[in-house]
Amino acid sequence: MKKVLGVMGMVCPFPLVEAKEAISGLSSGDELVIEFDCTQATETIPRWAAEEGHNVTNYEQVGDAAWTITVQKK
Amino acid sequence: MVQMIITGLLCGALLGFVMQRGRFCLTGGFRDMYLTKDNRMFYALLIAIAVQSVGVYTLVALEVIQPNTGTLPLFAIILGSFIFGIGIVLAGGCATGTWYRAGEGLIGSWIALAGYMLMSAIMKTGPLSPLNQNIQQSQLPSNSMADTLGINVWFLIALLLAVVGWIIYKEVTKPKVVIPTLKPKKQGLAHILFEKRWHPFVTAVLVGLIAILAWPLSSSTGRIAGLGITTPSANILQFLTTGDMAFINWGVFLVLGILVGSFVAAKASSEFRFRMPDVKTGLTSFTGGNLMGFGASLAGGCSIGNGLVMTALMTWQGWIALIFMILGTWTAVYFVFIRGRKEKNSNSTVQTSVTTA
Repeated sequence: MKKVLGVMGMVCPFPLVEAKEAISGLSSGDELVIEFDCTQATETIPRWAAEEGHNVTNYEQVGDAAWTITVQKK
Repeated sequence: MVQMIITGLLCGALLGFVMQRGRFCLTGGFRDMYLTKDNRMFYALLIAIAVQSVGVYTLVALEVIQPNTGTLPLFAIILGSFIFGIGIVLAGGCATGTWYRAGEGLIGSWIALAGYMLMSAIMKTGPLSPLNQNIQQSQLPSNSMADTLGINVWFLIALLLAVVGWIIYKEVTKPKVVIPTLKPKKQGLAHILFEKRWHPFVTAVLVGLIAILAWPLSSSTGRIAGLGITTPSANILQFLTTGDMAFINWGVFLVLGILVGSFVAAKASSEFRFRMPDVKTGLTSFTGGNLMGFGASLAGGCSIGNGLVMTALMTWQGWIALIFMILGTWTAVYFVFIRGRKEKNSNSTVQTSVTTA
């Protein structure tokens, strides 16, 4: 299953706070697509995913100050 | 005057550039010590303080600069720093953070900046200046930790260096996690400057070096100080509303430079876009900005002026301010992120859309 979390326009740390909450409702192997535009989250979200042991299956910049990252729950 | 404009803008632009690329956010750093038990940005700040401390006291020994640490308005520092700490959480960034986020095109930071400049001016030359002076009136005679303890300041610097060295050793020898990065689209210098993720400790060393550079540059224009954000931010508004050239100093160009440097960094990295916050965020930012201006004016400095510069000078003011701004940050974090989230979760759910892959 794939879940999309749109947190465009949210300032840090809300994108990460929302992501943590959203992933807790998923089962192992499910993917969470996070769309965000807060610059600091380009550092905090991948770091959080790596430290939690989740797999990042996609991470790219989609436009000016706009990113998408897909985190697969471990 | 020309020298003031050029060196001020240049120093500010360097700082804005480095902070934007290095995501050097002290608010986030203080917040995450509590919220996610992550001390990395706090450690980075200690590194920047240590670098600056060695540099500044070397310049003092060489008689290039003679900083005056003054007296210690203890109560004003404690109260002001605590309020400042609350303000930076609501504003979504400390004073410098707000300047550089304004350069990234965040309108919310422009709003916070407006509140910050306004309240700083009100506290310094406006109707609240008697209140400000009253609270600052009770002063302890010595601000220098070395003088109070009756030791050479280099003992304190050596102690800080030992702590920082130990922290770096612990962090570097930690088992590494591979952090996913974006696919590089640029090469060489452009990749390093405008794309690559900077290690917070590298950023911290650069911030420390810029903070050292600020001392001789500023002092040569008659402003005997290092980096400072609050007074110059207020000075801009004071100048614009009175036309009095006495409000123009090196610091004014420093803060304007932060905006320029951050804009250049963000634009070249495709990270600049004007972003309008929703009404609630806008109002919170304005409130936060006002609290920041109130607190920093009372405490005689923000997270840079007290947290980075006065700490490096080994003053009671710097370290006491740092402790209380962190406590203020944690207090606000508790109400905004911990209690606030619990209430929110019982009222509504996060907006998500579910699709099957």
